[in-house]
Amino acid sequence: MDITQEAPAAFRTSATRPGPLGMLAEAVGDLRSRWRLVRYLAQADLKRKGTNTFFGNVWWILDPLLQMAVYVILVTVIFQRDTPAYPLFIFAAILPWKWFSTVISDAITSVSGQERLIKQIQFPKIVLPAAAMIAGIAQFLFGLIPLFAMLILFYADRISPALVFIPVVAVVQFTFTMALGLILASLNVFFRDVGNLARHVLRLWFYLSPALYGAETIATLDATQPAAATAMRLNPFFTILESYRDAIYYERAPDFVLLGLVFAFSLALLIVGTIFFKRLEPSFAKVL
Amino acid sequence: MPPENDAPDYAIDVQNVGVRYNLRLTKKNTLRQTLGTIIRKGEGERTFWALREVTFRLVHGESLAVIGPNGAGKSTLLQTLAGIITPSEGVVDVRGHVSSLLQLGAGFNQELNGRDNIMLAGAFMGVPHSEMVRRSESIVDFADIGQFIDAPIKTYSSGMRARLGFAIATSVDPDILLLDEVLATGDAVFREKSRARVLELARAAKAIVLVTHDMQWVTEFCNRAMLIEKGHVVAEGEPEEIVRLHKERSLAETMRKQAELIAKLGDSPGFSPWAIQTQAAIKAAREAGTSIDDVAAIQAMITARHGAAEPASPAAPSAAAPRPATPQSATPERATPEPAAPAPAAPAPAAPHRSEDGPAR
Repeated sequence: MDITQEAPAAFRTSATRPGPLGMLAEAVGDLRSRWRLVRYLAQADLKRKGTNTFFGNVWWILDPLLQMAVYVILVTVIFQRDTPAYPLFIFAAILPWKWFSTVISDAITSVSGQERLIKQIQFPKIVLPAAAMIAGIAQFLFGLIPLFAMLILFYADRISPALVFIPVVAVVQFTFTMALGLILASLNVFFRDVGNLARHVLRLWFYLSPALYGAETIATLDATQPAAATAMRLNPFFTILESYRDAIYYERAPDFVLLGLVFAFSLALLIVGTIFFKRLEPSFAKVL
Repeated sequence: MPPENDAPDYAIDVQNVGVRYNLRLTKKNTLRQTLGTIIRKGEGERTFWALREVTFRLVHGESLAVIGPNGAGKSTLLQTLAGIITPSEGVVDVRGHVSSLLQLGAGFNQELNGRDNIMLAGAFMGVPHSEMVRRSESIVDFADIGQFIDAPIKTYSSGMRARLGFAIATSVDPDILLLDEVLATGDAVFREKSRARVLELARAAKAIVLVTHDMQWVTEFCNRAMLIEKGHVVAEGEPEEIVRLHKERSLAETMRKQAELIAKLGDSPGFSPWAIQTQAAIKAAREAGTSIDDVAAIQAMITARHGAAEPASPAAPSAAAPRPATPQSATPERATPEPAAPAPAAPAPAAPHRSEDGPAR
């Protein structure tokens, strides 16, 4: 039995590191060879989140629903805004946003929270944020249950073939999330401020993204504050959330040009983020 | 195709390795502190070499003991050999499957049960799934924690956790075994069992590197030893010789520190009883064969034996203390660590016979 099949039997380390492309290849190789580890870690993470509470994993369904309820009350009762099928309108955006914000917060602490492990076992550290990403997917999938329940029970007239575009948008979002997660996870090892800052930035980001309101609200800014409106449209989550909403609420295909641009940007960011992570990786054991 | 046969028959080759820590970045910095140090740049040491110019080669069949005072860089060396730390300079070439029993149970997940944790640990160590499945029964047997194996780790006692950790870590059959004082684990029965297992692994392994403070292990168990101080290799060779050198050097260091301490305290009124007690305690410890690494340990010993330490308030005129007519106050020249002259009329206990392997060198 060759126990060296997953981990290299022999290794040679030195101060010289591979170039950017080498690092990228290394990262891909790490994830491929340690895929099972990523899965175990993701499972353990889901288990941890599930076992601490009475309702367990039911919270993955309840959470977005309750959040939606809060915003529906806030917007329709207090601000007296009247959008048709408003619960569906915001749920289509809250669900992916929740996925994003949860994964980002988990990813940020994924490396810095494993101090003991990193100092005592040699393993590719990229599996840690990757596991947070994978666990996030499961939570997102759970969140789709109430979405479809809502569609079937209350908004059956809005069920359309456009729903098949949900996974397409999800891929774009995943790429972007992974890129940002890798960068923030490695930064947080060096500066714990990242975690604190991220909470507030995420909140602001949410309000600046078309989640509680739609693209047409941003369009009204065009006349008075064109710069702000343009800036808001450059936000990747402008396109991502609007695309979800196209598929779920407006029963139409998303704007593939915009979505493609965001995807290209996310992919570039993912490459940069992976190299960034790999570059900092050797220092993790020393800094933690 | 491990490059085992086509190359020189060595297991570990370490060439001029140095490990540098960046003090600006280590230890939970916040942005503010870092910005602070960057702005006041140039001030203070910014880097620290935990290891420098370390070169050695371990061939098959060798077991190397790495000894040295606390903070000498022993653990850093082990981490480097395990691949956990990348050297800042030089090359580490390790040929063979490495297993490090650095600390046990590092990869445990609190929520998972024992069995799942076995698989998780295997995945961390890079052992393939099928292999881990095959091993898991023997791991469970060895850990011997009964039904707890199916309960989440968070319900385990620390002893059970250590047993499972040990069982997992030693389930591998590595070519190269790295050991860092993991032998004191669990109760007496388990300790005996784990000692036997380590010996068994050691016999099977092609090469061993052991970091320990237990000199008996070094001489009994290793056929080579290396003394590290302040990140540099001081000496290397026969275990007995290196252990003797280490003992001498650490004793000399202790004496030097003690002489400094005495010199520092020489002016304080409460000085004499303290100094006498310190000397007596060091002597006693030396004769008992205890390794005494630093003054803090000695102070703790004395405090335990004689109650509160006096020099905590050196300026306090606690002249009421017995203070035997001080022939002592002549001693405080620190250059030669020769306060060994058994404190005259020492009121302290436990200094029955004197030893004669003075603090030379």
